[in-house]
Amino acid sequence: MHVPDGFLSPPITLPAYAVAAPLWAWAARRHFGRSAAESLPVVGSLTALAFVVQTIMIPVPGGTSTHLVGVVLLALLHGPLAAFAAESLVLLVQALFYGAGGVTVLGVNALAMGLAGPVVGWLAWKALRPLSARGAAFAAGWASMQAATLLVFGALALQHRLDPSYFPLPPAVTFTAMMVPSLAVTGVVEGLYTAVVLSLVRRAGFRGVEA
Amino acid sequence: MRFRWPAAALALLLAAPAPAHEVLHEVQRGRAVAVRAYESDGEALAGAAYRVFSPADPGVPFLEGRTDRSGWLAFVPDAPGPWRVQVVGADGHGLDLVVDGTAPAATGTADSGPSGAAFVLRPLAGLLAVGAVFGALFAYHRRKGGAA
Repeated sequence: MHVPDGFLSPPITLPAYAVAAPLWAWAARRHFGRSAAESLPVVGSLTALAFVVQTIMIPVPGGTSTHLVGVVLLALLHGPLAAFAAESLVLLVQALFYGAGGVTVLGVNALAMGLAGPVVGWLAWKALRPLSARGAAFAAGWASMQAATLLVFGALALQHRLDPSYFPLPPAVTFTAMMVPSLAVTGVVEGLYTAVVLSLVRRAGFRGVEA
Repeated sequence: MRFRWPAAALALLLAAPAPAHEVLHEVQRGRAVAVRAYESDGEALAGAAYRVFSPADPGVPFLEGRTDRSGWLAFVPDAPGPWRVQVVGADGHGLDLVVDGTAPAATGTADSGPSGAAFVLRPLAGLLAVGAVFGALFAYHRRKGGAA
């Protein structure tokens, strides 16, 4: 799902950085600061887990593959800003050491996968939790994947409209290629992953995690 | 009957322009630059759109097409310098890299991907990097007395 370097032009990447930068500062202060020291082991472990699940490619019919994001869990446990901080760190490591995504597109990827997805997932979880805790966790994972994918698609479609030399594929092609696997495969797996791991984390009774 | 052979010769002469429509070919090995695009799990970016930009005219694609079923594309540089190769998967995955076209006859390879043990070690290295950040934060806060 990561947008790689070179696919988006500065008119998109720079405003994304401008939006993301204050949020990074806020998130780091709130979730990596002294007041959050107790929850750091759990946040760190789930961030590491998110890094791992993002390296596991899920084959999709049609000859391509996709991957989970895995940070909506942090939004459910500690709020969307925690997920934003964690995913931003994961994306930074991937961009610097693995060439996945990229530094110029870090703001866009972080806002899509680290903020939009977890916020939507967190809202779905809040709305559905009174009905079913597990169902709400599944819905959170599924919805977060759709929101993140939609935002990435929106950035690519906007880029195609602004300057197709950066991203030449028309939005209709991109939309189908991105949303069909997301709706049918990745979202479902993300939902299952979120429900199962959330249940395990809650049962384990870690410090800083509500039972 | 006396004119049969001259008539045949004339017919052959009239057919002479035909070779001008022939497409000739030349095979040279070791001149092309081949690039393979693949996901981190080794899955090829098959059938992905690609564009190659020459350093002589970076604004107009020198070559466009789709990768083959193994994820390969190839081009023959006709100018020295950095050649930009963009592979665009419809799902937003892809790559945008610069290939040196200065020495096209060189047979060297450059691989951004892992191989062998590195395929396993790379995720572990990433885990260590993430763990190091949180470990350092935790240790810092403990030292400052922020953690119980």
